[in-house]
Amino acid sequence: MVSRLALSRLAPVLNVARPPSSLASRRVLRGVRPYSTSENDNTMTVRDALNLAMEEEMLRDETVFILGEEVARYNGAYKVTKGLMDKFGEKRVVDTPITEMGFAGLAVGAALQGLRPICEFMTFNFAMQAIDQIVNSAGKTYYMSGGNVPCPVVFRGPNGAAAGVAAQHSQDYAAWYGSVPGLKVVSPWSAEDCKGLLKSAIRDPNPVVFLENEMLYGVSFPMSQEAMSDNFLLPIGKCKVEREGTDVTLVGHSKMVTHCMEAAEALAKEDIKAEVINLRSIRPLDIDTIIKSVKKTNRLVIVEGGFPAFGVGSEICAQIVESEAFDYLDAPVERVTGADVPTPYATNLEALAFPDTPLIVKVAKRALYRTN
Amino acid sequence: MIRYELSAVSRALPALSRAFSSAPARHRDLLPTTNSPIVSKLSFFNSVQGNEQIPTYRILDGVGKPLEGAELPEIDEKFARLLYENMQLLPTLDNVLYNVQRQGKISFYMTAHGEEATIVGSAAALEMDDEVLGQYREMGVLLWRGFSIDQVMAQCFGNEEDTSGKGRQMPVHFSSPKHHFHTISSPLATQIPQAAGVAYALRRTPSRSSRSISACFFGEGAASEGDFHAGLMLASTIPSPTLFIARNNGFAISTPSTEQYNGDGIASRGPGYGIDTIRVDGNDILAVISAVREGRKRCFNQGRAVLIEAMSYRVGHHSTSDDSFAYRPRAEVEDKKRIDNPITRFRLFMESRGWWDADAETELKARLKADVMKAFKRAESLKRCELKELFTDVYGGQEPWNITEQREELTGLLRKYGQIWEPWRDELTKFRNNGQELIKEK
Repeated sequence: MVSRLALSRLAPVLNVARPPSSLASRRVLRGVRPYSTSENDNTMTVRDALNLAMEEEMLRDETVFILGEEVARYNGAYKVTKGLMDKFGEKRVVDTPITEMGFAGLAVGAALQGLRPICEFMTFNFAMQAIDQIVNSAGKTYYMSGGNVPCPVVFRGPNGAAAGVAAQHSQDYAAWYGSVPGLKVVSPWSAEDCKGLLKSAIRDPNPVVFLENEMLYGVSFPMSQEAMSDNFLLPIGKCKVEREGTDVTLVGHSKMVTHCMEAAEALAKEDIKAEVINLRSIRPLDIDTIIKSVKKTNRLVIVEGGFPAFGVGSEICAQIVESEAFDYLDAPVERVTGADVPTPYATNLEALAFPDTPLIVKVAKRALYRTN
Repeated sequence: MIRYELSAVSRALPALSRAFSSAPARHRDLLPTTNSPIVSKLSFFNSVQGNEQIPTYRILDGVGKPLEGAELPEIDEKFARLLYENMQLLPTLDNVLYNVQRQGKISFYMTAHGEEATIVGSAAALEMDDEVLGQYREMGVLLWRGFSIDQVMAQCFGNEEDTSGKGRQMPVHFSSPKHHFHTISSPLATQIPQAAGVAYALRRTPSRSSRSISACFFGEGAASEGDFHAGLMLASTIPSPTLFIARNNGFAISTPSTEQYNGDGIASRGPGYGIDTIRVDGNDILAVISAVREGRKRCFNQGRAVLIEAMSYRVGHHSTSDDSFAYRPRAEVEDKKRIDNPITRFRLFMESRGWWDADAETELKARLKADVMKAFKRAESLKRCELKELFTDVYGGQEPWNITEQREELTGLLRKYGQIWEPWRDELTKFRNNGQELIKEK
């Protein structure tokens, strides 16, 4: 059962009896249990929030349908589409053969013909086999057809480093898709983010790349009353100040927001008031909110789970130094990123390859000249 | 347990077990996941038709005479003339636009010389609102559907009347929702899985599900792309009425089809995906019409993909970026043009029926040439789209700040230098309204 719940495509890898792989499977299993939100009405897992967003949008709009590997009968490799086939039938929750370029192409074609597909990739690592369909067809057809043909498709799935799945399954594609005009790119953190942004993505007339995080699927977040409404939408292209502060700005997206929040908590114990910005959208990038924050705190630390070169952090840094915020900086902009190596498989090395809370604390203090 | 399940399978398939019992070398057992008969003779195979090549369906011989026993599609004089005029329009346009490119007036062009029967025949056999996803050499489908010569010119020149893409696409990359013709995409074969998606959407749309299919064109070279295999697999496993029309014209740019595959052409791949398949003489317009009509019918009846491989010969160069005499002898091309010309073949058929003669030929050629030249002259004199269109349609809905910022920056520069710096002043006159709409924008 445990191995079935893990990525079935990874089965050969996972069969190697090593702690990280069973950890990965257990995490998925753990996430399944709190599927019902009845335990506490005010919290919801990221997985449930995504599931609810899709269910609500499918009820609202007949043209919305889901396709991907194992999304229907198997409820999705990570159970994000759980129960949707039972509710909407096989016509609207479609299992496909294993060919990313094929079903991504099918999704693009269906969108060009007027449907609103949600195309699930088992992980965005596999979406590279379909990247031409995403970038060249979905991203550009509206422009190149002179506005004749919109392509309202959502590409979603887990993105970024997972645990114990080595280099080919552990990378962040935010910067890749973020560089393409014509695409919108969303990288949500909390359950509210996921629900509000996925609903907006499905309703958006443009192709949206929706980057989830496997490590967050089973994590519960508080849900406001407003977020529980079936009309709860969050605007794509706006970030959220998760915690206000005056001393240093920490900017992150996806799982790195968790670490930024923890770091802000740790810094608070030393009387450092960190402001935490949850990016939410990679493209369009809400640089104004970051500029405003930097003008207040005069220090900027950007945290991401991707590689450093040409990354989201690089882009934010560049836009900040090109803006009026440059004159407000009292310290060099800092980027805290994944190591510039293919993600190691060894558990101890893997842990060292990505930012964690203590590292963010350390770098934030460096930006404040509190350490050497 | 397994034995019991197996016997249940053979009970459910009486016809199959009867077939086994008549072959002494075969045993009754079946593997758990397939109905493949078990045999004890070691035997490999490498053909879908015994040891024969897949045959090619043809109605008219090289001089336009129906083959013995061939069944002609429904055709009358009026329809035949329409077919012929459309076939003749293609080389007329091609010759002019090819030369226009050579004069440097447009950046690129692709001719359809030698494939007129495949393209016009398919277009004529499809319904007008079947969704067509072309590769790039299917302008004839659009013309058949009423896309005008002026529209062709406007697209190729990228002028203000370009309805395909506001001058944002290379020549021949047409797009026309009105004519149910999807936007041509330069990366090869992306249209193949998309066609499966289009057909899936048609099946899901009540007003279209019993009326329209998607028809997807591609060359035999594009069929080497992974998208081809993915697309055929999807249209067969997530069954959707998609008619795949492979134009096997012998060359993928310079690579001859003999180097493109080791198997029996593209048609041999259809049975691998469990879809009805036919190979047709693509230079015989009547055979193409019959095959496409029947293929279309099968798409509906089975709700699944169908594959047609149309055999022809690319008489022209791949595109204006290609000189094919670097890799094939000029004499070979001249021979093909003379011996197996799809237009001539159909003309001879029409003449044999008394539907066409030399006068009609002279009149048609003169008329088409005049129409094309008139449209060309007109297109040449038209301006480009509004300059502000540079920034529209990147996104639908609300414009993101980065687009607004760029537009405002350009507006600012134009206000400052647009009239006082000569190169910009001259450049602005090439756009509709001389760029004033952008300059005056608030």
